[in-house]
Parts: sequence; C-alpha cells; structure tokens
Amino acid sequence: MTLNFSINRSVAVLWHQSKNEQFKSTITMKQFITYLVLLFTTVAIAQTTVNGKVTNTSGEPVFGANVYLDGTYDGATTDEQGNFSFTTEETGQQTLIVSFLSYETKSITNEVTTFTDVQIKLREDVSVLDAVVISAGTFEANDNSKVSVLKPLDVVTTASALGDFVGALQTLPGTSTVAEDGRLFVRGGDAAETQIFIDGIRVFTPYSPTPNNMPTRGRYSPFLFDGITFSTGGYSAEYGQALSSVLLLNTIDEPDQEKTDISIMTVGGGLGHTEKWNNSSLSVNASYINLAPYIALFPDRNDWEKPYRGAQGEAVFRQKFDSGLLKFYAAFDTSNLELNQEDINYEEGIDFKLKNNNFYTNASYSGVLNNNWSIKTGLSYTVANTDVGIIDSDIDNKEHSAHFKLKLKKRFSSRFKLSFGAEQFLTDFNETYTDESISASYGFNDNISAVFAETDIVFSKKLALKAGLRGDYYNTTKRFDVAPRASFAYKTSKNGQVSLAYGNFFQTVSGDYLKFDNDLKTQNTQHYILNYQHVSDGRLFRAEAYRKAYDNLVLFDTDMASFDSDYTNEGSGYAQGLDVFWRDNKSLKNIDYWLSYSYLDTERQYLNYPEKAQPSFANTHNFSAVVKYWVDDWKSQLGLSYSYASGRPYTNPNRNGFLNETTKSYNSLSFNWAYLLSQQKILYFSVNNVLGFNNINGFQYSNTANANGNFNRQAILPAADQFFFVGFFWTISDDGKDNQLDNL
Amino acid sequence: MKHLIIIATLMVSGIIHSQTNFEKGMQKAFSLWEANKWDEAENMFERIANAESDQWLPHYYIAQMNSLKSWSEKDANVLKAQLDKAQEHLNTAMSISKDNPELLVMQAHVLTNWVAFDGMTYGMKYSGKISELYSKALKIAPDNPRVVSGKAEWDMGSAKYFGQDTAPFCKDLERALELFANFKPESPFHPNWGKERVEQTVAACKE
Repeated sequence: MTLNFSINRSVAVLWHQSKNEQFKSTITMKQFITYLVLLFTTVAIAQTTVNGKVTNTSGEPVFGANVYLDGTYDGATTDEQGNFSFTTEETGQQTLIVSFLSYETKSITNEVTTFTDVQIKLREDVSVLDAVVISAGTFEANDNSKVSVLKPLDVVTTASALGDFVGALQTLPGTSTVAEDGRLFVRGGDAAETQIFIDGIRVFTPYSPTPNNMPTRGRYSPFLFDGITFSTGGYSAEYGQALSSVLLLNTIDEPDQEKTDISIMTVGGGLGHTEKWNNSSLSVNASYINLAPYIALFPDRNDWEKPYRGAQGEAVFRQKFDSGLLKFYAAFDTSNLELNQEDINYEEGIDFKLKNNNFYTNASYSGVLNNNWSIKTGLSYTVANTDVGIIDSDIDNKEHSAHFKLKLKKRFSSRFKLSFGAEQFLTDFNETYTDESISASYGFNDNISAVFAETDIVFSKKLALKAGLRGDYYNTTKRFDVAPRASFAYKTSKNGQVSLAYGNFFQTVSGDYLKFDNDLKTQNTQHYILNYQHVSDGRLFRAEAYRKAYDNLVLFDTDMASFDSDYTNEGSGYAQGLDVFWRDNKSLKNIDYWLSYSYLDTERQYLNYPEKAQPSFANTHNFSAVVKYWVDDWKSQLGLSYSYASGRPYTNPNRNGFLNETTKSYNSLSFNWAYLLSQQKILYFSVNNVLGFNNINGFQYSNTANANGNFNRQAILPAADQFFFVGFFWTISDDGKDNQLDNL
Repeated sequence: MKHLIIIATLMVSGIIHSQTNFEKGMQKAFSLWEANKWDEAENMFERIANAESDQWLPHYYIAQMNSLKSWSEKDANVLKAQLDKAQEHLNTAMSISKDNPELLVMQAHVLTNWVAFDGMTYGMKYSGKISELYSKALKIAPDNPRVVSGKAEWDMGSAKYFGQDTAPFCKDLERALELFANFKPESPFHPNWGKERVEQTVAACKE
C-alpha cells in the first residue's frame, strides 16, 4: 500500500534577522571594558588559514566532505577537486575532523598552524550497505539486514505456512519435506539437530506435541518477532548444542501502538492487547483452538475420541532504560487430545492419548556500556509436562530446563569487533513408564557449561572474516569439546560475493536416548560451505554447496530404543549437496515470488540402522515456489505456494536390504487470500493442497508374514489431504489504522 | 572580589559569545540552504550540532535535509544511507529534546519516506508506527500546524485508498491553515515550514 505523503519541496526556510542583542544596559562600564579587551585580544590574534585536499584511498577527490575544527563552527566543504580552505581564530592544539557520507570519519589532532596544505585520505566505511557481508549458511528475515532473504511478513503470508514460522522456513532451500512431522530437517540432519533461540536464549521445547503422523507447529505466535535468522550451517561460535542448524527469533523491541486484536477462526479464536507507557509496554494474547467442529464437518482418517483442544497465553513486557532494554517473555500452553489411529498390527487400531502443559519464560537484557562495550544477557526456564497413553501403557514425563547466557562485545572500530561470553544449560528430565506388567522410571540430568569468543574483522569493503572458538564442558560425563568456527567473504563484483565457512559442531545425544544411557558422548559434525550470492535491486540469487561429516552418532542394538538396549556412539554419516534460491519482487508488477531448490546426497548409520543408508527423512530433491500477488482493486493479497519433494526411503521387508525402496514424490499446492474489508478488518481464507494430490508419507509393514510368506503393508497417509481455514481478524486502535495483516 | 568579577564577566561574555555564535552559524546554514548549496548548508548544521551538544535544532535540519534529498535519489544504497543518516540525527535530537512534537513529525516523515521508497517492505511495518507518532504529537501539541496537517494528510491517504470520505481531513487541513497563520516559532530558528503544501492540498480538496 503506498500512501502518498509529501512535504513542500521548497521547504519554507523562514527566519528573521536576529534581534539586536540588548545586553549593553545590563553590563557595567568596567565589565564592558573587560569585554572589549577580550574582544580585542581575539581580534588581535592572527587568523590561521586551514587548507588542504581530501581524496579517497584511490586518490580520487572527495566532493562535498565536511572539514572542520572539532567543537567550533570553523570549517568548510570540499569543492569538486577535493580542496578546502577556511580561516580560524582558534589557537594551539586543535582537532581537524573530516567527514563524508559512506566514508570513515577522520580526525587529526595537532597545532592549528600545522594545518596547511593537509592531504587527507578517507577510507570507505565498511559498514555501508554495499559492503561485503558474511552470508555463508545464513538466511535473514528482517528489514535491517543488508541481505534479507525473507521479510518478517513473509513468515505469516506464505500460503502453505498457515501462520507457523517453521512452515514458512520450509520453503527455503536446505530443508527437507517431511510432511507428517512439521519440524525443520536441515541438510540431511534430523529435527533434533536444529536449535531455536528467542532473543539469543534457547527454547527447549519449541514444538507442540502431536500424535504420530500428524505435523506439529511452532508453539510461538509469529507476530511477536520482527527478526528471524535461519542458519543452515556454519553459524557463529555463540551457538552450540546444534549439529545442523540454528533458528534465531528476536522479539519486537517496541510495539507501534496500543491496540486490541480479535480473531475468529474456523478452528478457534484469539484475543490480544497491547498497552504502552512512557518507557515500557506490555502485550498479552490468548488463543483457544478446538478442532472438534472442523473435524465434524470434514472428518479425517483418524478416529477422534477427543479432537485437539489447546489453549495458549503469551505475554511480553518491555522496559526501556537510558542505555538498555529489558524484555520479559512468558508463554503457557496446554493441549489435550485422544484418538484411535489405524495400525496394520492392531486390528482395532492404536489408542493414543496426549496431554501436555508447557511453560516457557525468558528474560533478556541488552545494553550499551562505556567505551564501545555492549552487553547481552538472558535467562530462560522451561517446564514441560507430557502424559501420553498408548493402548494400555502410560508414559509420563516432566522436563525442567534452564539456560543462562552472558555476552560482551567490544567494538574497537567498524573494522574490528570482539565478542565473548559464557553460558550454562541445565536439563532435568524424568519419565515413568507403566503398563500391566512393568513400571519403570528413568531420566537424565544434563548440565553443560560453555564459553565462546569471536572476532569480526573487516579488511575492506571487499573482504571480511569472522573467526570464533567455543568450548563446552559436560558436567555429567566430565568431557570437554572444543569447536573452532570460521567464515570469510569476498566481494567479487558490485553485486556479487563469495563466502566460505568452516565449523565444528557438537550436540549431546537427544533426550530420547540419553534418558536410557547417561554416559553417551556428544555427537559431532563438521561443515564446509561455499556460497555465492548476487543481490541487485529487488532480486536476490544465492547458491550454496556444502559437505557435512557426522561422527559419534548414537547407535543401539534393538528395533526400538528402550532401557534394555545397548547404546554406543559408533554411528557416522555424511551429507552433501547444493541449495539454490532466487527471489524477485521487481520484474513483475505487484508480484513477489521466490524459488528454492535443494539437492541432497546423504547417508548415515545411526539409531537402529544396521548399515549406512539414506535416512527416511531425507529427500534427494526439494523444490518450492512461493508467489504473492497484491491486487490493488480488490484490496487483496493472493498467495500460492507449491512444493515438490522426491520420494523418501522406507524398508520393504519383502526384499533384501534396509531402507531399500522410495515412496513416490510429494506434491502440494496451497492457496491463500487475505482481503482487507476496511483498514482494520481482514478476512482470510486458505486451502492447503488445493489440487488434492494423494501424498504418501511412507509405508507400515505387518510384523508377521502372511500365508504366502509376504509382509502386508499399509500406506502412511496424511490425516487429511486438504485443509481449509477461514478467519476474521479485527484490530481496534485509537487511530483506527492498524490491522492484523501481519498476524496472519 | 576582583577575581569574582572577572570570572563573572568571562562567563557572561562567554554565554553571549556562544549564543551569537549559534545564531550566526544557524543563519549562515540557512542562507546556504536558501542559495541551494545543500552540501554546504548540511555541513554547517553538522558543525553546529557537533559544537553545541545541547541543541536539537541542527540535528533536526540535518534529518530534514536528508529526508528531502531522498526523494530525488535514484541509487537505492545512497537513498538508504540518507534515511539512515536522518534517523541517526533524529535519535540524537530526541535524546536532547524529549517528547518534542516537531521531532515526532519529522520522525513520521522519515518513516513515510521509507514507505514511499519500498511500500511492499516498509508499508505494513511502519504504517502503524506513523499513525502512532502523529497521535502522540497531537496529544502533546494539539495546535501545532505541522502536527495537525501531517496527521490529516496521512489519514487522508489511507481514507482515499479505502474509498472513504476525505471531507473531515480537509476540515482539519483548513484548521491547520488557520494555525499556520497564527503560529509563532519559539525562535527564528525553530521549525516554521509547511504552509504552502497545506494550501495546495486544501485547494485540491475544494476541486
């Protein structure tokens, strides 16, 4: 929406001649004489002429630079030849300052009389927009970044995402399409290899739990965040405990205005309110989701006893100080469901019950200290309770986790920055398993202390380096890991640049196995990344080739992980491939689109794998296209997103081998329509898988062979092929302007 | 006693001296600006801003100049750098003079320029913020003509877009014109612009 606004070009620069200063009457004769003397002395001092020439590092004159004596009004602007000249009455030691947009400001302190014929060379400011940026592995979604792949709004206006920030990231290259799971699978890594951070502080339970074969969603509402960084490899030493990827979410620093948001949807409703004070603000929102009416209208393949019901509440409080910002974030959600799912081995299906309560709180402070030091610190605490019932067995667990982090950064200049910090992760997990014959309790205590340091060196507008080192100490196993990381970027042309990254990454074994064997070593990957990026007005192209080597992966000797399995760290694997991304909002009017393609070649031996194989969550080819079309006449945004993924491996026990066959490819086209009824009312409609492709996520085989000696199978199908969503969103604010388009 | 007098004298003359310097400097900057020597005028404002750490006015005009320059700038990188510079100086000005309606209006203008530059990216992001800035400014200074007209023009833009009645905003603009007629800036260097633009818009209202 373009709103015209313009101020008169020839700004009325009005002023009046200053009035005669009428100070004479207030000054005594004696003072007047003193004043005259002072005046005389000033006049008597010979004026000094300051002159010289300003050029850039390649010797070309700089036109329009500001040259002046610090703290005085004496100065001049350089002419077309870079020359300047002015006179001053100042004497003694003076500081000559030379400044110009997109150059580093230069200052010279010396006797004022020496400032004649001064030759000044200005260096280009390396923090300007067209300077090189380290981009290997990283996708940014914000407005402030120099190279932003997504905009914050994209997260919520991508047709297939249905308001889930994770769903939007799945349209980026480097991710695999695992439709029945919903989490992020990055570059041949499983979902546990991606860690999520809010304001730099770890989120321990980012996803809502779901029954088997039903995709999950991120727990947190996307409109709380205004910056998202998604790294598919080679990330900073600040982030540990992630083998494949990190997702960094930053909450909004200051909400725009006071408002109340109301949403009514086919699956529930929500209410939000933002209140602002002078230096602080509070946003709260609550939502209730109940799938019962939807499932009654459009029954899916599950036999629901209690369709999904969930309630969620979130609050963010922000307090501004003179030199810092404190944010306090808390979220609570509860979900409850019960259903019967088809299973080839159980004629009557499997009864599944789930109750989950999750509370997450995070407090963070970022501030500026003296001498170009800045500080970031924060603390998070999670408590999660999950009660699962499968047929006759009950599995109840409770997790308490905390993360504390402190980071200091010193900016020596725009060319050299140093940061370092320390952090502590604590997890206490306990689970009890009960059925008719057994009752067992087990758990783990994870206690990790880590330190990290990193330096950013910008050699010129063309060449930059980031190098870091991280050490993690595991208090339970008394082991210590050291992880070096480095990345470098070189600008090859006005719009193009090449980046290289290397890193060593460690992560403790997932709680799913650690709870059975507390002495497992940490898993390890090494990333090698080569990235090319070309950014021109409204268009962005990037291609990235990578190789990942996995080591110390967990391996066990039974079909299913249980407390009587034998665990080792002898697993290993690799992943390599090519990710390509293209985004263009310039070529076609009112159309913004992006295309992603990923090629992945991966094999690993881990968990119960008898040999190295391509894991069932890895697709060789992934393609997605997202299109957004703004129809001005209809006040509407129409969106389409298409994704294609080649088949995923599964094991057919009727043939020799492990993960020996692949499913057919996956296709889905989603459509959405956001219609602005008025400034504050939006009607939203979306359909996932409009064309009704019959996707198959895999196959389940019978445990026992039939009369012919074959194992029967059943396709694992999505609970529903299509999903419809209609919502009405209404914002009430003082000025009557804001709407929730960015909440969708 | 004698010393005290000399010290007092020095102080008095010091104050007088710096006041005149500031006024002289500002006058020079404005005359350069009027003579269409934008670079030199801006550099002069910068020198004043640098020498007078408690004056928000030079920062205000640097922000305004960069905001205006961005209109005719074709190079996106330069344009962004100009708006960033405007923002930087506005931030300094706002730390010197808190809750200043003139600065709130200028902040709204800078954000409006971002919206005009790339509506797809910044439209949604800044629209709410711009409205909030005008509302806040109006609470502080309900009779400032730049606040009244700025808010009315902004609201008019949205109303036009949604095909709503723009008459109430025309009324506000007429009121702004009256306010302009009676507006007395705090000093010769305080903001006192914007009347002509409103005259044009009001004329367009009547067509």
